[in-house]
Amino acid sequence: MKLAGEVQELAVSFFGQRVLRGLSLVIPRNRLTVIIGPSGSGKTTLLRALNRLNEFFPGADTRGTVRLHLEGAWVDVYGGDLSVTGLRRRVGLVFQQPHILPVSIAKNITLPLKLVAGLSRRDLPARMEQVLREAHLWDEVKDRLASPAAALSGGQQQRLCLARALALEPEILLLDEPSASLDFRAASRVEELLADLKDRYTLVAVSHSLSQARRIADQIAVLKEGVIVRMLERTEFDNQSVFHRLIEENF
Amino acid sequence: MAERLERLFTGFAWSAVLGLGAVLAGLMIFLVQRGLPSLGTALFFGSTPVAEGLMGRLPVWDGIWPACVGTFLLVVLASLIAIPLGVAGGVYLAVYASRRERRVYGFLVDLLAGMPSILMGLFGFALILLLRKTLLPSANTGLLLAAGCLSLLVLPYLIMTTQTALLGLPSALHLTGLSLGLTPWQNLSRVLLPAAGRGIMSGVILAVGRAAEDTAVILLTGVVANAGLPHSWTDRFEALPFTIYYLAAEHRSAAELDRGFGTALVLLGLTALLFLWAYGLQRTFARRWDRRVNLP
Repeated sequence: MKLAGEVQELAVSFFGQRVLRGLSLVIPRNRLTVIIGPSGSGKTTLLRALNRLNEFFPGADTRGTVRLHLEGAWVDVYGGDLSVTGLRRRVGLVFQQPHILPVSIAKNITLPLKLVAGLSRRDLPARMEQVLREAHLWDEVKDRLASPAAALSGGQQQRLCLARALALEPEILLLDEPSASLDFRAASRVEELLADLKDRYTLVAVSHSLSQARRIADQIAVLKEGVIVRMLERTEFDNQSVFHRLIEENF
Repeated sequence: MAERLERLFTGFAWSAVLGLGAVLAGLMIFLVQRGLPSLGTALFFGSTPVAEGLMGRLPVWDGIWPACVGTFLLVVLASLIAIPLGVAGGVYLAVYASRRERRVYGFLVDLLAGMPSILMGLFGFALILLLRKTLLPSANTGLLLAAGCLSLLVLPYLIMTTQTALLGLPSALHLTGLSLGLTPWQNLSRVLLPAAGRGIMSGVILAVGRAAEDTAVILLTGVVANAGLPHSWTDRFEALPFTIYYLAAEHRSAAELDRGFGTALVLLGLTALLFLWAYGLQRTFARRWDRRVNLP
């Protein structure tokens, strides 16, 4: 099994309050790793540690090592191997609530493409169409690319955020409960999409739903009070009763 | 009981708005009635031929044209100094400052906002005295000094509205750009500031209006009754609010007082024009921010 990332002894605290307490995790390449755990267990913090987004919040302190396999080489995320903007470009993040920019649908995708990927104006439309298709959104928005993204439904906005992240050609995609704010139908569309994307990207998702985790995950990490208490492989949680017993033991 | 209170308060809020509208309308009607008849080339240029006066080839003694030019230059210059500083200050307080810094500097900004404008004028006057005694014996009050002091006066409005506009953005927006790999500067200049554009605009309007009407500051920093058109940044100048004040206080005939009302109307028109200009500028920025991409 090829690896996309390795987390060792990761400890994160905010103003001295420890959220992650020295956890280790192995992230296989081109697989979907789902992190589950009770609220407050540090799921989002773990996800944000992978692209250094915790640093945005005051009082954040990160220790331990996070190594990711990016562009054919291992980089030490906190060792200064890669600039933080370069890291975030290669490790995309989709938030729990759709975080759209208050501009048009098209500009949501082209703004980071231009600023971060340095794409020329001529190449923008083609790439935009490509990622909107990839995010199963093209047919719904192709006639109103210039209208505000805020006018889209929640599910569409979330797929737009996914497309925006994909546009930067990340190698790893982090998803923070990407379907939590969506209704059943929109959520299942996002799930289908993730299954599709697994072949090309390494996915790490946080989920609050055990059944969803079981449906989509290749491996499940159970997080509790800032440490990973259990790793589950697909063979282990394929069987529903075994899965529930394992979860009950560990929650 | 609660329902009655609710109705009472709604009524109060309504009457406050209506009252404001009525007062404003009354003021405008009064001003137009008294001022409109005196509007004309004579008000602007007195007995000087229009073309000659307009270009400054002949001095205008009895008209407000030099005061229009003076106020316009004053406001533009003060805005050029104050807007970049004020917006940058607001950005610092909203984005970069720690909580402690925000408290301390915020208090200082409040203090500056509460400072009477005459003190700003005195500050400028004292500054010139100091310069004359030390580095620049030839220093004198004039356009640049007045604009500098005016910009001090309006700085707090700009800082506060910029800070409020930025802090009022959803915190998710701060995070979105960063998570996409934008540098903090790109995030600020391409996402946050444009999104806060309308709020910042309201600060600019406040600042422009304040700079255009203030008399106390310029009184001590270079305005005079008959300076004519200023020829350099350090020249003394005329200004509309000072002309109004002067005409109101020292008029010798009813016609002269009416010219004061006419001047007030012109000042109102000039500020309205500056507002429109600022508004148009903001619209252009907003459109450029969300420009359509070239679609196939």
